[in-house]
Amino acid sequence: MVLVLAMGDMHIPHRAADLPAKFKSMLVPGKIQHILSPGNLCIKEVHDYLKSLCADVHVARGEYDDDPRYPETKLLTIGAFKLGICHGHQVVPWGDLDSLTMLQRQLDVDILITGHTHQFKAYKHEGGVIINPGSATGAYSSITYDVNPSFVLMDIDGLRVVVYVYELVDGEVKVDKIDFKKPHQRT
Amino acid sequence: MASGKSGGAVGNVKSVPSWLNSPAWSTPRHKGRLFPESPENGIKDKESKLQKKGSDVDKLEEVVEPPSVVVKQEVEGRGSVKTGNVESSAPLRSDSGNTSIFSSGSGGLSSDLYKKSSSLDARVELFMLELSRKRIHIAELQRMSGQGIPDVGSIRSTTWKLLLGYLPRNREDWSAELKKKRSEYAVFREELLVNPSELTRRKEAYEEAMNESGGRGFLPRHHITQDDHPLSLGSTSIWHQYFQDSELTEQIERDVKRTHPDIQFFCGDSEEAHQNQEALRRALFIFAKLNPGIRYVQGMNEVLAPLYFVFKTDPDESYAFHAEADAFFCFVELLSDFRDHFCQQLDNSAVGIRSTISQLNALLKRHDEELWRHLEVTSKVNPQFYAFRWITLLLTQEFNFPDSLRLWDSLLSNPDGPLEILLRVCCAMLLCVRERLLAGDFTTNLKLLQNYPSTDIHHLLRVAEDLRV
Repeated sequence: MVLVLAMGDMHIPHRAADLPAKFKSMLVPGKIQHILSPGNLCIKEVHDYLKSLCADVHVARGEYDDDPRYPETKLLTIGAFKLGICHGHQVVPWGDLDSLTMLQRQLDVDILITGHTHQFKAYKHEGGVIINPGSATGAYSSITYDVNPSFVLMDIDGLRVVVYVYELVDGEVKVDKIDFKKPHQRT
Repeated sequence: MASGKSGGAVGNVKSVPSWLNSPAWSTPRHKGRLFPESPENGIKDKESKLQKKGSDVDKLEEVVEPPSVVVKQEVEGRGSVKTGNVESSAPLRSDSGNTSIFSSGSGGLSSDLYKKSSSLDARVELFMLELSRKRIHIAELQRMSGQGIPDVGSIRSTTWKLLLGYLPRNREDWSAELKKKRSEYAVFREELLVNPSELTRRKEAYEEAMNESGGRGFLPRHHITQDDHPLSLGSTSIWHQYFQDSELTEQIERDVKRTHPDIQFFCGDSEEAHQNQEALRRALFIFAKLNPGIRYVQGMNEVLAPLYFVFKTDPDESYAFHAEADAFFCFVELLSDFRDHFCQQLDNSAVGIRSTISQLNALLKRHDEELWRHLEVTSKVNPQFYAFRWITLLLTQEFNFPDSLRLWDSLLSNPDGPLEILLRVCCAMLLCVRERLLAGDFTTNLKLLQNYPSTDIHHLLRVAEDLRV
């Protein structure tokens, strides 16, 4: 039972001041084992905050990130799943699922975490699953209207993943759940 | 001491006839004498028992009419006597006899080796007899166990279960009762040990459509209640419960890893050792969850360990398999007498640990005023400094493991309850090192009592017995 947090596109301090208070109250250290962030944090203080929640933080480079040392893509394995992180501004057209699918096949991962559109998406295709946790602060985006703050918590348990989607709608936190299982390896 | 043979001397001269080793000769009156005139009690002749396996002793026995081994008066009307592993052969020749002597913890070799070895066989047989009855006579079992339970076969394991009331008195009820209890434990394990991911996986109807590997499309979102997610802070949330329990599990884990680091059974590198540790961890966790008032206190692992060890090393496979469940219930039974010692709020109350310690103090004062005065007044050793560990951990930390098993035989078999004899043994411990205590000051006395010197456990128990009012 591994808990993996995916949140990105905070755009602190440029487009938002801080995470919503309700999110902050829920995020306490000690529960989460890994944090994956597609990028656009943008400053070091946000990275330190994520580190305070969990020691194992992985960040991919977003176009507004201050730190140039974040990689463009990052791959890791948690349990039986291979995960990949990429911000998504490199993939044109932005947010296009087919192109992201191609990226996922290139990286050869089961779950691809991507961002940039500030809109939550969970899309399944033959090669795996694409998850976009949206923007954790609800920051302005030029390609999406009505951005709601959202992030994603994945519970990886054997061959099954339960994805909990936390979204702030009208000031209230709504939690949704998505299940999927790793498909059997086909030759 | 192979002399003392009558009848025809057969080839192997060193053998000692079994009738000579009969406990009939080893009553206190005849101590030291090889040829008592006649046994005082009536000798029950059990011809059927005399099945020697083709040893030279046979020939002797044909010549002389030997009495049977078991002579205690109370034993009568043997229905189904287990002849099993009890062999009344010459102890010096049977290795099992010798090793059993040492494993039952009887001091060093002394001139009453015969007495011990033969009485070991006799005791084993008595126990087997007693345990094979249709209706167990608890008082009798208690009396016999007070002398020490032989470390042979399943005797100790079964006796402890009977003494703690885990097994009912009627033999025929045993299997039903065991089944019931073990399935109860399995239910506890199911309910209390499963993590929230498992629970959510089981709860929902898992939609197969989702798993079609050919599909493409947005994954459907299911709305869930406020509490059913990992970050929930609600008190009814299973996730929240789980994270709160993680502190408890960590504490138990730490203590279990430190239990008996010198014994391979608990702390080896092998798979069995890990499994044993896991079993201890589970049992303690379940106890803590079922008893929210007292939860887990450091030291409970030490009380559980001997129980689990004895049950797990039971040669009977079916018992060893369920050792965890049996040990759990026996642990609950045992702790019911001592719960209050573990509860911090009750420390100063009439049932708490302080009161028990003062009871010990009063006992010491009654039996040995001089020593009491020296400890209390002169060297100012507060009994809490040493007696706390003695009492709460039931002396498991003061003696080596085999000795503490022997000690627990007496503890569990006391008709007046384990606490009464525990206090007497603690008092006996003080009395046994009396000279050293009287000669010492605060520091030396404290050091001595906190690292109690190794001593003959039988002597200690004898002294404790003498203190019985």
